Amino acid sequence: MKNLKVSTVILAMAFIGLTTISCKDAKKESTNEDGHQMEASHDNNNNHKDEGSVSDTPEVEANADNTQKSTATTPIIDAYIQIKNALTTDNKNEAAKGGTALVAAFSEFDMSSLTGETHKEYMEIVESAKEHAEHIVKSPIDHQREHFEVLSTDINDLVALLGTEKTLYQDFCPMASNGKGAIWLSEVEEIKNPYMGSKMSTCGSIQKQIN
Amino acid sequence: MKVVKKIALVLLIVFVGIQFIPTSRNQSDVVPATDFMLVNKVPKPITNKLQASCYDCHSNNTKYPWYNKIQPVAWLLEDHIKEGKAELNFNEWDDLSNRRKKSKLKSIISQIEDGEMPLSSYTFIHRDATFSDTEKQEIIKWMTQLKDSL
Repeated sequence: MKNLKVSTVILAMAFIGLTTISCKDAKKESTNEDGHQMEASHDNNNNHKDEGSVSDTPEVEANADNTQKSTATTPIIDAYIQIKNALTTDNKNEAAKGGTALVAAFSEFDMSSLTGETHKEYMEIVESAKEHAEHIVKSPIDHQREHFEVLSTDINDLVALLGTEKTLYQDFCPMASNGKGAIWLSEVEEIKNPYMGSKMSTCGSIQKQIN
Repeated sequence: MKVVKKIALVLLIVFVGIQFIPTSRNQSDVVPATDFMLVNKVPKPITNKLQASCYDCHSNNTKYPWYNKIQPVAWLLEDHIKEGKAELNFNEWDDLSNRRKKSKLKSIISQIEDGEMPLSSYTFIHRDATFSDTEKQEIIKWMTQLKDSL
């Protein structure tokens, strides 16, 4: 009889225990979500309805010769390059680390010198890029690559907007993005493709040199 | 036999007990002016499909079936909705910059293409939320057009 009681109690405790644990998890996530939402509402302040031409100017028009020499963007670009290099070697964990570094670089970026249109465009780029960086942190490698695709456009636009002290290469792979093609930025002249996996590492060509 | 009864009793008490723990409902009568359907010209079949397949977790208004008001199902659902809305909220579509709209559309397309959305745990219960192959193609085609027009 005693045994029965004991087992009943244990079962009940286990059940309660389990439910509280799942409840806790939910809470934890919700704080995360809140962070996310804050970001989203932040976005509201900076949204505008018909910026079209400003934000989607494709990379091609970006100033090839007259990119500003700026060191402010260096931590951001370094983190981006870290993700890129991890993806060229199929290293998911390293890419995730780069994602974390990129989010940190954005929050440390001093945007006090940015004004007007530049500030607005910067905010839009960052909101998008940060979101992709966050996803790169928590996603499997194929998703990391999908997010890296858009991230590359964002970073490319950021470089066009604010400049860099670095010499960068804008590379293009026609096979990426299910044959639609995608660009990436590289710090080295040699082609090391981040989209196709290490097996097709040399697929792609240089479209433009920055600085 | 007695053991089984006792376990059942305890479980019943716990089950009744957790019903009193409140959960927040995702419900709203207002469709904001920023809603996806209001700012885009969405063909009727696509509107219907999106509302049936996506809006429960990606908008401010969930149509709850009765069993979703019961714990612990409601907790699970609350979590899903929270996560879903943080990723994408169709009601707040026009709050996004064009840059982010494009990026969201790209994600929508790839999620539907890969069959990752709607979640299989959702379509298991909501049979009408499943995409047939034709519906899939139609919606992807339309979303791609929208993306390219931005």
